[in-house]
Amino acid sequence: MDGYRIMIIDDEKIVGDMAKMALEKEGYLVETFMNAEPALERLKAVKFDVVVTDFKMKGIDGMEVLKRVKSLYPGTKVIMITAFANLDTAIEALRGDVYDFFPKPVKIKELKASIQRALKKA
Amino acid sequence: MKIEHKIILSYISNIALILLIGIFSLNNMNIVLTKFRFVEIADDLNASFLEMRISEKNYFLYKDRTALDEIENKINITLESIGAVEKDITAAIGENNLSQLKEYLKSYAAAIEQIRSNTRKSVRLEAKLRAEGQKLREYFKNITQIERRSVNAIILKSKKVLFISFLVILLLSVFGGRFIAKKIVASMRDIEGLAVSISEGSFKKIEDIRTDDECASVIRAMNFMSDELKNREEEIIQSKKLASLGILTAGVAHELRNPLNNISMVAQNFLEMYDSLDREHRIGLMHKVEEETKRIEEIVKNLLDFAKPKVANLEEADINRTVRKVVNLMQNTLDISNIELNLSLDPSVPHVFIDGPQIQQVLVNLILNAVQAMSPGGKLSIKTYGGHEGGSVIIEVSDTGKGIPHEFLPYIFDPFFSTKGVEGTGLGMSISYGIIRNHKGSIRVESTINEGTTFTIELPAYKK
Repeated sequence: MDGYRIMIIDDEKIVGDMAKMALEKEGYLVETFMNAEPALERLKAVKFDVVVTDFKMKGIDGMEVLKRVKSLYPGTKVIMITAFANLDTAIEALRGDVYDFFPKPVKIKELKASIQRALKKA
Repeated sequence: MKIEHKIILSYISNIALILLIGIFSLNNMNIVLTKFRFVEIADDLNASFLEMRISEKNYFLYKDRTALDEIENKINITLESIGAVEKDITAAIGENNLSQLKEYLKSYAAAIEQIRSNTRKSVRLEAKLRAEGQKLREYFKNITQIERRSVNAIILKSKKVLFISFLVILLLSVFGGRFIAKKIVASMRDIEGLAVSISEGSFKKIEDIRTDDECASVIRAMNFMSDELKNREEEIIQSKKLASLGILTAGVAHELRNPLNNISMVAQNFLEMYDSLDREHRIGLMHKVEEETKRIEEIVKNLLDFAKPKVANLEEADINRTVRKVVNLMQNTLDISNIELNLSLDPSVPHVFIDGPQIQQVLVNLILNAVQAMSPGGKLSIKTYGGHEGGSVIIEVSDTGKGIPHEFLPYIFDPFFSTKGVEGTGLGMSISYGIIRNHKGSIRVESTINEGTTFTIELPAYKK
């Protein structure tokens, strides 16, 4: 798993911190952002293999991030997490080429497994 | 006195007055009629007297004795005809005048008789005859004239009395009617004022009831209603609060999910990596749990604060802080509906003297209404400004929603008025209005269809 680049975008700082903590232990290169603009700037410079993003954010939201990532790197997998878990958001997310969808509270083990699957598929 | 009685009384007095005038006029007519009948008879009598005097003249000119017979004959006929219409004549000129007239006729007849029985020509008797004839005619002419004058006088008097009576009736109906109307209207105004104050939520009462009529019972009923409403206001505020609490809870539940997720993720890492973490790391993670717990506590406390029933408890407060508190409470409601929030809070606005939770409730009401009026992507702006140089502190809540139809605007703050159909209780705005009024402030609304609505609250700046 070494060397894969994972990007986490969530306006809750702890989400990024904890995901980074758990994923770095697996050998991933992890970068965290609290909103979408600087994250998308960074993506222009470096390709990430998986982007984990919050669905609902101020400014650019998760669906917009998905669109921009896919236009830059069609092979990059996007995983959504959200506190607003309802059927509508899930359906919208999955329709739009999202690899996986996690309602909060996030099970870190499941997130790790999902990322592994995503990388294998790539 | 009851209004009903007042009106009946004024009718009766008017009718009585008209009846009196009628009786008076009828009486006058009768008098005039008798006098006219007399004048008619008088004309005939006058003609007879004239004929008598002509015959008398014939006698003096031609010394024709048959002329004397003619006069005598005429006197008899006249006396007879007087006898026939004696009643009418008595009614017109009275007993005395009539007997005087008869007396004159008889002495005239006697004078003729004397001349006839005296074969010699007597200058003295002739002069007497002439004088009697003269007297009779003069007297009758006099009576007739007096009667004519009295008829004129009666007609003139009737005219005057009628004119004055009509004037009195006119004045009575105008001013009497106005007096009654004024008393009724005054009571109605009282009732109107009471109704307006109740609808504005200030639950006044009319302490001294000025009348004892039907209006008084209405006022008493409204006083009772005002009392009851006042007693129930707290209840209504509380029930409305609980209604908006339902909507808030949905938002708050989502808001709780973030710190819960944070705690969960920290705990998962803590358990998973316990052995590989040093002491410092472990403590750091537990601090995070502690912080997130505080965050949850704050959210729950805000919600409970809002739900708690409270008597108005005025305190000096920074309105910007109150606005921020409400916005925090509602952030997720806004997020769910995808509403963009623009806050423009002037940090220099002076403090206000308010019951924090009550003003929060007003803001929650306004924001919930705004959210319901907008489709996703709408913009909610909250502004504070003013309050300097004795002016009011102003809080503006604007949305870019569908707007309120112009014809509804005057009723927006009325109790039970709702544009939301079965969903709304129609109490939110009226309670907000009541709360702002209790703070000696004002609230008003401007709205343009399809452009949006702005609610403007003015609160007096706090003076130490």
